[in-house]
Amino acid sequence: MRQIKTTALAALMSATALTTVYAADPIKIGVVTPLSGTYAGIGQQVKWGLELATKEVNAAGGIMGRPVELIFEDEEANPAVAVQKADKVFQVNKVDFLTGTVNSGSTLAVGQVAERAGKLMATTVSFADSITGDKCSPNVYRVNARAGQQSAALAVWMSKDKPKAKVFYLGPDYEMGRSTVAAFKQSAEKVGAQTGGEVFAPLDSKDYTQYFGQLRAARPQVLYTSVAGNDTVRLFTQLQEFGLLNNLTVVGASGTVTAQNIGAIGKAAEGFVTGVGYSAEIDTPENKKFVEAFKAANKIDPDLYGADSYGLIYAYKAAVEKAKSTDTDKVREAFKDLTWKTPQGEKTLRAGDHQAVQTMYVVRVNNGKFGIVGQVKGEDAIGADTCTRF
Amino acid sequence: MMAGAFDYFQFVLAPQIVIGLVLGVAVILVALGLTIIFGLLDVINMSHGEFYALGAFISVSLAALGVPFWLLLVLVPALMLPIGYAVERLLIQRVFHSPDRHVTTLLLTFGLALVLEDVFRLIWGPNPLRPETPIRGAIEVAGLFLPLYRVFMIGIGALIIIGTALIVYRTRIGAMVRAAAFDRNMAASLGVPVQLVYAGAFAFGVSLAGLAGVLLAPLYSVFPTMGRDFILMAFTVVIVGGMGSIAGAVVAGLFLTQVQAIASLYISPVWTDPIVFGIMVIMLMVRPQGLFGRLGHA
Repeated sequence: MRQIKTTALAALMSATALTTVYAADPIKIGVVTPLSGTYAGIGQQVKWGLELATKEVNAAGGIMGRPVELIFEDEEANPAVAVQKADKVFQVNKVDFLTGTVNSGSTLAVGQVAERAGKLMATTVSFADSITGDKCSPNVYRVNARAGQQSAALAVWMSKDKPKAKVFYLGPDYEMGRSTVAAFKQSAEKVGAQTGGEVFAPLDSKDYTQYFGQLRAARPQVLYTSVAGNDTVRLFTQLQEFGLLNNLTVVGASGTVTAQNIGAIGKAAEGFVTGVGYSAEIDTPENKKFVEAFKAANKIDPDLYGADSYGLIYAYKAAVEKAKSTDTDKVREAFKDLTWKTPQGEKTLRAGDHQAVQTMYVVRVNNGKFGIVGQVKGEDAIGADTCTRF
Repeated sequence: MMAGAFDYFQFVLAPQIVIGLVLGVAVILVALGLTIIFGLLDVINMSHGEFYALGAFISVSLAALGVPFWLLLVLVPALMLPIGYAVERLLIQRVFHSPDRHVTTLLLTFGLALVLEDVFRLIWGPNPLRPETPIRGAIEVAGLFLPLYRVFMIGIGALIIIGTALIVYRTRIGAMVRAAAFDRNMAASLGVPVQLVYAGAFAFGVSLAGLAGVLLAPLYSVFPTMGRDFILMAFTVVIVGGMGSIAGAVVAGLFLTQVQAIASLYISPVWTDPIVFGIMVIMLMVRPQGLFGRLGHA
């Protein structure tokens, strides 16, 4: 008899537990990100950042009382794969929102999938200016700093530290590489730098020494590069091996040297300078709290990808709560000039091109760690709105 | 003007040729095991790149335990032998006698490559690891700046290639291997333990891939997908050189990497891959057997 009673009680309890779960359908966010390939390390930070923010949001009651659920798909840093996976999460998993794309080509391609599906997406990583420039989309947002913002900050530093330097450019041969090089060249020439030549290497190049012939022939004082992931490890160590780092200042895109690869690059990373939208060194209580929580969860410092991905969940939360709905048109309206809080301070999503406006930092590697050596205000680094599509 | 030309040669052209040579040796090291496995067993080993990666990963882990680099050059290939032997006996052998042998072994090794890549990621994580370069510094020869480790690579690479050729062409074991490759049934009836020879040759090829992994890890760093790096180029070298021919792999490896180095200087680095693969396509149309013949028929 007593046993029947407990069973009945247990059944009743589990029934109520079930109803509380089903009372609030989760808000689903698709994460199409590289979990393998040369950008796996970046995808890992994206995953960690999103997961940490999602955990916090869910612990605090979710978004409008609904829990957030992340659905991961590996896009292998390959736009063709990204398109299939994005289609899959929109059509099969019925996600409300999509993020995670790293490769700028993937972001552009997935943006078109989102437009067709009538859903919104945001990148937290891609640099290519075109994403919120001439190839902007009413359905695509960028919460991280684009190439132009990074370049503006870096060029200001270079004009003081290496005035009138001859610069050689080496970028990965796809959208991001070409646009970061073009953006920095423009900023650098504006502050008086000369151009010594430019070369583009395919993604995943095993040997950069092939490109050193053109680099040597140019004899530059500064090398600008925007390779990322494992490619940076090879480029930097090969530069060091051939003695090319002597008398050469290496500057680059914010994704070139990160928490993921700095250990493997080792001494060859010393002195590298970049303009970034985030640094774990930012000295504010919000950032310290974030870095601590991130380290506790993942045993590694967050880098810009982890931080910007973390911040995105809060941007989406703010927009959905303002719209009181996950409906695409309503959320799009809510995202207009939305200002929200992130570990690196307040950011604003500019309504005209969907680009985040934020403070930019100049950081340099010293003893294996980035230190902040300069800072540029968000309004001074953002540049013109060149989007004409919406 | 003359001084300018010499300076250009010394500072730009000559380093580029040396760079091409180092890359050539690296590619040949990876292609060597591939060509033996193909030449003898007629197996297109799609997981060869992952065995190269496995060698690199094992060497990084052993180095972290304090094993000196020079010992790794012997230890890692020795550890790879039983792994290669087991793969041949447990996996390849099961599908080897099927009528669609080429397709089944190709698919099997391709699947194995995918599995291995994920295993690397589970064990060692997705981020790149880089062992310390065992020989630091560089020498200057007539104004030419040569990193010592790359010079060492050319030297040891040459030794490994010559050693492998001697084993295959000048030893009794090599003769048995060539006999088994030429006519399996005849060799078996003459008392050659064919199954053992096959598994041994596969293990030897895998072990060579592991050795390439040890040697190239300090140059190219170590990460789960590194197996894909050389594999296309290695297959191209094997096809152009003649499937199964060691001499062919050496000639094609050195030739194609020089084409890459020079083309990247004078045409554009972006054009090097299309040019090299274009050569392979032309070779397949004009002379499908490659520059040299097959191992068993040489």
